[in-house]
Amino acid sequence: MKKLGSEGVISPIWNWKITAVSFSLLVFVVFLAISFGPVPLEFQKIIRTLFGLPGGLTGQERTLLIDLRLPRALLAAIVGAALATSGAVYQTVFRNPLADPYLLGAAAGAGLGATIAITSAGADLYSLLPIFSFFGAILAVLVSFFISGKFFAEPNSLLLSGIAVGSFATAVQTYLQQRNSSSLRPVYSWILGELTVANWQKVIWSSTYIFIALTILITVSKQLDGLMLTDEESYSLGINPNRLRVIAVIAATLATATAVSASGLIGFVGIVVPHLVRGITHRVTNRGLLTIALVGASFLVLADLGARTLLSPAELPIGVITAFVGAPFFLVVLRKKRLVSQ
Amino acid sequence: MIKVEDLSVRFGQKEILKDINVEIENSKWTCLVGPNGAGKTTFLKALLGSQSYSGSITDSGAEVYKNHDRNVAFVPQHPQIPIGMSVSEYVLLGRSKRDGWGNESKKSRALVADILKLTGLFGMQNQFVSQLSGGEMQRALIARALVQEPTLILLDEPTSALDLHHQIAVLNNIELLKERGVTIVSTMHDITLAAMYAEKIVVMQEGRVLLSGTSDFVIHSPELQVAFENRISVFTLDSGRPVIVAKKDLSN
Repeated sequence: MKKLGSEGVISPIWNWKITAVSFSLLVFVVFLAISFGPVPLEFQKIIRTLFGLPGGLTGQERTLLIDLRLPRALLAAIVGAALATSGAVYQTVFRNPLADPYLLGAAAGAGLGATIAITSAGADLYSLLPIFSFFGAILAVLVSFFISGKFFAEPNSLLLSGIAVGSFATAVQTYLQQRNSSSLRPVYSWILGELTVANWQKVIWSSTYIFIALTILITVSKQLDGLMLTDEESYSLGINPNRLRVIAVIAATLATATAVSASGLIGFVGIVVPHLVRGITHRVTNRGLLTIALVGASFLVLADLGARTLLSPAELPIGVITAFVGAPFFLVVLRKKRLVSQ
Repeated sequence: MIKVEDLSVRFGQKEILKDINVEIENSKWTCLVGPNGAGKTTFLKALLGSQSYSGSITDSGAEVYKNHDRNVAFVPQHPQIPIGMSVSEYVLLGRSKRDGWGNESKKSRALVADILKLTGLFGMQNQFVSQLSGGEMQRALIARALVQEPTLILLDEPTSALDLHHQIAVLNNIELLKERGVTIVSTMHDITLAAMYAEKIVVMQEGRVLLSGTSDFVIHSPELQVAFENRISVFTLDSGRPVIVAKKDLSN
């Protein structure tokens, strides 16, 4: 009989094959998204076009691929990666499995910023909507930080002040909408999330900020596991917990604010995807953060594919699809948690 | 040798520790005893270096607050239990300081398996830490401290939530650290157990050190009665072992 050695019984904390598989999944899903639609595009021709080989797509089909479907799929991927990663990071930092990227007031702040842009000057400011919502989100989180002076001692106080700031921003937003009822429709369509206005410019600026934020988060991801312990324990294991929390929250907020300003409020990605990855791999370590980013990207690309094909030629808001999958999942997580604590 | 000189800690207006002067010997077990609110936990945090203080705490000559290279293990009274983390992952976290976060070697994993056997947790390595009983959790914490291979371990009430059988099991596990030359500082409610295991006892009251010395000296000192407001009785068993029990308060 083979004797159980000391090695081998304790498996490595993360298996990098999982990350490789999720990367392949993302590539597959992006190809699926750019080839499906009211006008199907041939797979071989897509490859030839993308690699500049002869025999690729021409004319309208080429425009459809390069200027519409590709930037849209890439934007969905970038936003999905940002939301899933920020969600996972917030869950670790706040030691709360139900934390999501919009928790610190980022969503309400962005909503208020967007509403101000839409109501105050209509068309002129509408083009500035992403900038307004970006700063709205950042400002709301900063105010939450400022109010919760005790953040360093107790993460939950930041969580609570985030909720208060969020409620206040939502109240102001509702007031502005009531005063200006013509803004209701554009504001709500933005709140439900939209990727229809994706273009290369948007892809480039949002991917720049999100790339910076995700690089920071994935660099510190191994140490983030230390934040699951008490501050004294993580200190004894070589971490400065306060500094790490601040770095993680700032980077996750940058990613969230960028995602919100690029595509509106897309709910549930930040909760569903981290729990999905943790559930499948049976690992809660933040070493899975890159995988969570890749799966988040795939999830949103697929959701967007659903949003534009299910009722084709009409489009569903992408937030409806993510919530349709997300809400029942959220309930399952809640139920399971209750079962564990009993 | 850890030298504590004129140590004071304030939380706002409140002075938690006042002018503490103590020497903690290497490779020995020092136990902090005293009633609730005496400042024992704050003292442990100051020894760890995570708590700001005035005065001086030097470990081998270096001020602990500035020295982040020390390898000190900390076992809290109320650990934060990571939901969904397995016992082996939890214990493996102890290697993070030695190997660098995220770089646990194969050797470290082998060490974790050995330590799990030593602490009686082998076979539970794939269970969630959230499913462990109080005694098992305490052993998992000590297993993590053992794989950390520290020079100093600080334990905050390691036996407070355990029945007598598990108290002894955990204390014996802590003794494994002493056999490896680790300096141990713990707080403990039970002075009888403290006297059984620790070489040195420091009695604290309201943020001050009332007396300190060898276990034998402290147990039989009249100042111990002062610290506990004359509410304890000390008996000596035939074996020579002291037993400290609370007096029945007749005035109530």
